[in-house]
Amino acid sequence: MIMNTEEITSWYNWAKEQTDPNEASKKPEALADLLVLDVSYGNIGGLVCSSVLSEMGARVIRIEPSIGDVARNYSPFGIRHIDTGLGYLVESRNKYHITLNLKNIIGRDIFKRLSKHADVIIETFPAGVMDGWGTGYRQLKEINPRLIYTALYTYGQFGPMASRKRPGSEIANQAYSGLTYINGEPEREGPADYTVPTKTGSWYGWYSEGLFAAYGTLLALNFREDTGAGQLVDVSGAECLMKFIDYNMGWFHMDGKVKERLGSYDPSVFPYTFIKCKDGYTFMAAYNDEAFNTLMEIIGRPELIEDPRLSSFMQRTSLENEEALQDILEEWSTRYPVDEVIKLVQEAISKKEGRAAAVVTGKVTHPSETLKEQNWWDRGSFVTFKDPVYGKLTLQGPLWKMSRTPPRLKWICRPIGADNEFIYLKYLGLGKDKLVQMKRDTVI
Amino acid sequence: MEQKDYFEWSNDLFSVAKIFDKPEALKGVRVLELCTRVFGPVTADLLADFGAEVIKIELPGVGDLMRYVAPRGFFWQNISPAFTHMNHNKYHVGIDIRKAEGADLLRRLVAKSDILVENFRPGTMDRWGVGYRQLKKINPRLIYQGNSGFGQWSVFKDRPSYDATSQAMSGFSATTGFPDRTPLKVGVWIGDYTGALFAALGVLVALYHRKKTGKGQLLDVSQGESLIRVLDWTWVFQTMSGKDRRLYGNRDVAISPSGIFRCMDGFIAIAAMDDVQFKGLCKAMDRTELIQEDRFKDISQRIKDDNNIELYDMISKWSITLSVEKIEALADKYHFSAHRVSNAKDHFDDEHLRLRGAVWEFEDPLYGKVVEYGPGPKLAKSPGRMKWFTRPIGFNNEHIFRDVLGLGEDEMKQLEEQKVIGIWMDRMGAKPPDNWDGKDGVFF
Repeated sequence: MIMNTEEITSWYNWAKEQTDPNEASKKPEALADLLVLDVSYGNIGGLVCSSVLSEMGARVIRIEPSIGDVARNYSPFGIRHIDTGLGYLVESRNKYHITLNLKNIIGRDIFKRLSKHADVIIETFPAGVMDGWGTGYRQLKEINPRLIYTALYTYGQFGPMASRKRPGSEIANQAYSGLTYINGEPEREGPADYTVPTKTGSWYGWYSEGLFAAYGTLLALNFREDTGAGQLVDVSGAECLMKFIDYNMGWFHMDGKVKERLGSYDPSVFPYTFIKCKDGYTFMAAYNDEAFNTLMEIIGRPELIEDPRLSSFMQRTSLENEEALQDILEEWSTRYPVDEVIKLVQEAISKKEGRAAAVVTGKVTHPSETLKEQNWWDRGSFVTFKDPVYGKLTLQGPLWKMSRTPPRLKWICRPIGADNEFIYLKYLGLGKDKLVQMKRDTVI
Repeated sequence: MEQKDYFEWSNDLFSVAKIFDKPEALKGVRVLELCTRVFGPVTADLLADFGAEVIKIELPGVGDLMRYVAPRGFFWQNISPAFTHMNHNKYHVGIDIRKAEGADLLRRLVAKSDILVENFRPGTMDRWGVGYRQLKKINPRLIYQGNSGFGQWSVFKDRPSYDATSQAMSGFSATTGFPDRTPLKVGVWIGDYTGALFAALGVLVALYHRKKTGKGQLLDVSQGESLIRVLDWTWVFQTMSGKDRRLYGNRDVAISPSGIFRCMDGFIAIAAMDDVQFKGLCKAMDRTELIQEDRFKDISQRIKDDNNIELYDMISKWSITLSVEKIEALADKYHFSAHRVSNAKDHFDDEHLRLRGAVWEFEDPLYGKVVEYGPGPKLAKSPGRMKWFTRPIGFNNEHIFRDVLGLGEDEMKQLEEQKVIGIWMDRMGAKPPDNWDGKDGVFF
């Protein structure tokens, strides 16, 4: 009799075996049939979009001006690794890099010829710029009706703000979306430098824009599979990010309330906060009643379950009661190191079930500590990768664990124009002499 | 051929008034949502926005616990705005899949579905006999999206996780906010949303692959890993320099200048993304002499930290003397990036957003006039759209069970009596509006 091995293997082992990122390179790639031209400029969001596609197997050609994309300069304290800043280095994965001067008429012609081969174009200029050059969607769809043209711009391709040519940016996306208004500490006793609308440290305004652009592109690709039709995909990072500002719009239209900054408090669930411990901070949540009761047992204050200020979910979400409860929790937690607090919670919830076990923690870690956590390495979230040009670097690995068509990392980055010879020969049949000529004419 | 003005063309192409005359990108794609709270429901919502038929399966009675999360305890017509913004265009059914007959109903639905999204703790569905291992036998084309805090096979798989767990453990919090302040939890459930967007991306890639090959697969996406992935240059910086990324407040240390600034009457984002925009900003500030100075003359100089700090201070001193509106007008004139720190009211009143369907007003048969943020990317040929608002638990039971499963009157009655299927309990957040007539919004 043949044993049904699947049923006796634990889910954990089975799922790992099916989706282990170490096995990724042996499996097929979902987007292997696609050619993407990424002509984004000064916008890491465009690069994030093409990173998603390139990790999933699309062949991506990055098109830069001959001095390189200005985004190669976006780097902490101006650090450069060989010819490239760190922001760019992280999002150039698996992409071929060529140069092409789109301000030059011959350059535009070459771009059009490349577009005939392309499935997707990604661009990040203010709306109408590419159209003005004769290389916009209106012109390209005539020569390639299957083309999906994804345009990223803070103000989008239509509407009254779109035609003003005001540049978009990462920080404009954050500000316009409502994220910065809601993020940060509230003003208490008069203005202070830190009680202001606060940006996220990392480029969330770009990463969300890029991920949403990939989402729009993939929706269009699925539609094209069914219908054969390409289309223009208009992505405003600011608007996309609005989708993630919780109940910002709903609360306003239903109740006339504007969601304000509250530091680490949350007006709809509590406790759901960071609390101070002896040696750092941890996240602590226990907002449904059953979990709250468990937490009160853990901190040795079971009598508070009956406290009228705290006894129900709704009572706990007034600012006054949130502040009172914060103090109560910290009175307990500051006696223990973070790891001990988390251990005490884990022990208690392992004896509970269902909603009573929903006491949720998480140590607030600095990046250096996050990097030391073996779990993220096991999962391929971090990888140390040896690139033929840029050497050994540690960076984010592809995110998705997929059983059939997993994403993968092939190389990290390419120098400016490094793939001119290959790409121009492969797609346009332009040989060495031709390239020399193009260089002389400042086309590449 | 004479071409129309670009914006005349694009306004017409994307006209919100024509959206319902166009096809949907995910037409004919059926999604089963077995999710609670935020991470899972948002994943399915991103698919529902573009035409997927999402069937949200909730536990009869209490349903999705997010229904009871309400800002300052505020409910509107018996629902919470914290629940509605991630649950539209869905069909709501109540099935207790823990019961054998309930699991059987789920299997029958799976046989007729394309995608399943769940966010139980890893292994839960498998234990109930309805995990991917079992379901793929019923439907090999199934795309199974497992959402969790740490992944299906992480060493932390048994630890519960909320959004802020991932904020804390990824390093996102430790890199957002001002120096010498307590760590800041971002004001929105950013770990959930980011994870959800990655999950939706994975699903769309898998769907594309399935269209080519007919084969489904298992996908595993984690909240914590999602935030690690979007932390841009953090990891490569840490490992190259040996230094931790710290808190830098509202100044971007990798783009100069870029940040949030205080004005006379509010706050504004200002950035100059390249040398041309920097010249524009200098003109607006009436400080054109800065362009001549070595420390500011090009982007590679400005990004040096001393120069970046100095520039940030100069802009701060300038912006405080002007109104938000004045600086935005200067940005239009001189072409640098600037946008006010906007809140819900700004969005509600924003003509640009209204015209683009980014702020979308519609009439729901059950709840009346509703205003929400519309679908993120705008697709010219297969646009997303808002059809209806959320629904009480099990509101579409009869419709779905009859239409999709072909259950008859008696069968449904029996399942109801066995408490296998059911509707809402009499609780705020779960039930219809008080003045509901028992008919409005019932499609069948």
